Amino acid sequence: MARYLAIRLSDLAIVLFGVSVIAFLMIRLIPGDAVEIMLGANAEVTDEQIALLRTRLGLDEPAITQYFAWIGNLLQGDLGTSLWTGVPVTQEIGGRIWVTLELSLLALLLSVVLAVPAGCAMAYFRSSAADYVIRVITIAGVTVPNFWLGALLIFLFFALFPSFPSVGWVDFSVDPLGNLARLLLPTIALAVPVLATLSRIARSAMLDSLGQDYIRTARSKGVSERAVVFKHALRNALIPFVTALGISAGYLFGGAIVVEQVFALPGLGRLMIGAIAERNYPLVQASILLVTATFVVINFVIDLAYAALDPRISLR
Amino acid sequence: MTLISKLLSTGAVGALVLATGAGVAAQTLEIATDASPVGLDPHVATAFSTILVNGPIYEGLTGIAADLSVIPVLAESWSVSDDGLTLTFDLRDGVTFHDGSAMTAEDVIASIERVQNPETGSPYASRIAAIGALEAPYDGTVVMTLTQPSAALLSQLAYVRIVPSDLAEDVDLQRQPVGTGPFAFSEWVPDTYIGLTAFDGYWEDGLPLVEGIRFNIVPEASTRQVGLSTGTYHMLPNVDSATALTLQGTPGVELLETADLAYSLIGMNVSAPPFDDPAVRRAVNTAIDREQLVQAVYFGQGQPGGPLSPSLENWALPVSEFDCYSGGAEEAQAILAEAGYSEPVALTIKALGTVQTVVDAAQVVQAQLNAAGFDVTLEVQEQGTFVQDWRNSNFQAFASLNGGNPDPDGYLYRTFRTGGSTNVFLYSDEEVDALLDEAQAETDMDARYDIYADLQRRLACEGPIAHLAYGTLYTAVSDDVTGYEMVGDRSTSYLRQTGLE
Repeated sequence: MARYLAIRLSDLAIVLFGVSVIAFLMIRLIPGDAVEIMLGANAEVTDEQIALLRTRLGLDEPAITQYFAWIGNLLQGDLGTSLWTGVPVTQEIGGRIWVTLELSLLALLLSVVLAVPAGCAMAYFRSSAADYVIRVITIAGVTVPNFWLGALLIFLFFALFPSFPSVGWVDFSVDPLGNLARLLLPTIALAVPVLATLSRIARSAMLDSLGQDYIRTARSKGVSERAVVFKHALRNALIPFVTALGISAGYLFGGAIVVEQVFALPGLGRLMIGAIAERNYPLVQASILLVTATFVVINFVIDLAYAALDPRISLR
Repeated sequence: MTLISKLLSTGAVGALVLATGAGVAAQTLEIATDASPVGLDPHVATAFSTILVNGPIYEGLTGIAADLSVIPVLAESWSVSDDGLTLTFDLRDGVTFHDGSAMTAEDVIASIERVQNPETGSPYASRIAAIGALEAPYDGTVVMTLTQPSAALLSQLAYVRIVPSDLAEDVDLQRQPVGTGPFAFSEWVPDTYIGLTAFDGYWEDGLPLVEGIRFNIVPEASTRQVGLSTGTYHMLPNVDSATALTLQGTPGVELLETADLAYSLIGMNVSAPPFDDPAVRRAVNTAIDREQLVQAVYFGQGQPGGPLSPSLENWALPVSEFDCYSGGAEEAQAILAEAGYSEPVALTIKALGTVQTVVDAAQVVQAQLNAAGFDVTLEVQEQGTFVQDWRNSNFQAFASLNGGNPDPDGYLYRTFRTGGSTNVFLYSDEEVDALLDEAQAETDMDARYDIYADLQRRLACEGPIAHLAYGTLYTAVSDDVTGYEMVGDRSTSYLRQTGLE
């Protein structure tokens, strides 16, 4: 196990190194200069003033120098300071990451909790009216864009429940109920497409599973229908389901960015959009590394889950 | 006393307390805006998002009233010497900063010097370039010696905010404003809100009228609108015509309006074909139907204008004075033909994609020019790319929104002077330069008017800019908001007298 962990950690390090180079280059290769953007398209400043600002921000050094300076600081735990606010990057991200985490986790939870029973129901009652109805709903769920759904939900709740706090943000530590109330609509908007996809995958995985020989054997042995479905079929259907879950985690993060914009939530997604538009190099680079690391860790957890679910799979 | 009479009297007292309490409506004014300010240092940041938040926090020697006139603020009165080279300001008594220290002449001088200092990189430095020396001969008096007379200086001083000269080492004005205004900075929760509280040491008694202000950062327009309708927010400042139209007729919502000093424009690079030929520039100005553009882009809520905003009533010539404004497609084609262009003139317009009115205006202009002997390709750009191309003059033509100024020099000098800080068109005309310099130093109002009238006529049709329109700025407020007035330069200084019923 220790050896397995060591191998996975070194994989992570290699991936992060590669991504650091790509992130560093990408944000600089696109047109647009951080200092010029800061001053805007109508600023009454001279070229000397711009050069001065650039020097002060360390942006007049050659790219290689800047890269190694950044990596050097990174390895010592210093992610740099935001070009615009001067606030340390760790503080900027740290203040916002919990919002995105809370939103994504709630959406994931909602999706899983609803997708598994929906998938099972559809598989078990296949070709019945219920199956068709749920399948149509899931197609709609997959196609609906989450920002449109978000805006729709805001207007709907405004019309039906005018006093419900559908916009804004309040910290969990300050007002737990208010916090959850404000997360209700964003969670729904974010979860719907994921929920739809997952329930369809759950359905086909269950169908697959239910069609296996050992299920027939179990039934003929006299095992209760309940045990057949939940103990035998479901367990095996979980493996493809968990794969889809890992991919959905990625989609959830991407969707969170858009949902955060619509509902004015102060999360990591909004921070990243702003940072990219501003060409705020340290912030963009750090965010990309963080997101990459998160994906790799999620994949790792999924692999562990496989091993737990399927005794045939061993960690090597 | 019986129980019932006790209850009744308690109720009566309670009601009385509530009634008097309600009279002193000590609430927080909730404002919703779309963009987070990058920094709040009043000498460095010029973005609209910063101006919005700084309005109630900072003040200058003078101020700009809603009718664009100059009013005394931190300077109670001033006098100008006969040769126009010496300005003496009498500072107001009893002004304190939010950190408790008293405002003195030293603070005023330090603030102005900070703006002048090239290290600060202040965009306001060019506006006060006429100031040569500063002195404080006695307490409460500041004497400015100018390098040349300047009629614009008093209005431009409104933008130079006074900060304490001796700020503590760890106070960064970008994150922690310290001013003399009616509201003091209280907290900044990134991406969520900026909170201000009423400053009880404010120099004017009885102000401000609310306990605090909260600027909520809400990027999505529909979210802001719903918030206003539900009463979550009290004010949406500086919204455009499209949003205003959506909100019109909403119960409980009122729309305030003023003419915008900012204007949409097509800028032309005169250093290369086709715009190095003044005939082509005139053709562009002739082909554009500004009335049609105002209808299409501003829903009729705006007006065509020339180099100066029509709200500068004492300076702006009516657009009827510019012959190219009443032309049309046929006339434009005739101008091109006469200048020797037989084929459609091909050009690319780069548009600033982040402002919807600019993108809309660019599309209208494209259609109008294509019908008049041009072949226009439109390139809508993201902000970073646009700013870079703009600053490096890497364009044939661009469509954008330029800020305005209460004084004509603020509009024209930096834009059209050879080497002006926003002269990205690479325009250079000796006569125009001479006129701009002369107008800047002229203090006789009639003479100044004549010079600016001449400049407007020269620049309107053959200059490097095709001025399009000056829109109407709206602020949407809920019914219980009182006392707020809009200023065309988007200043929020009137929050000092805004109350909630």
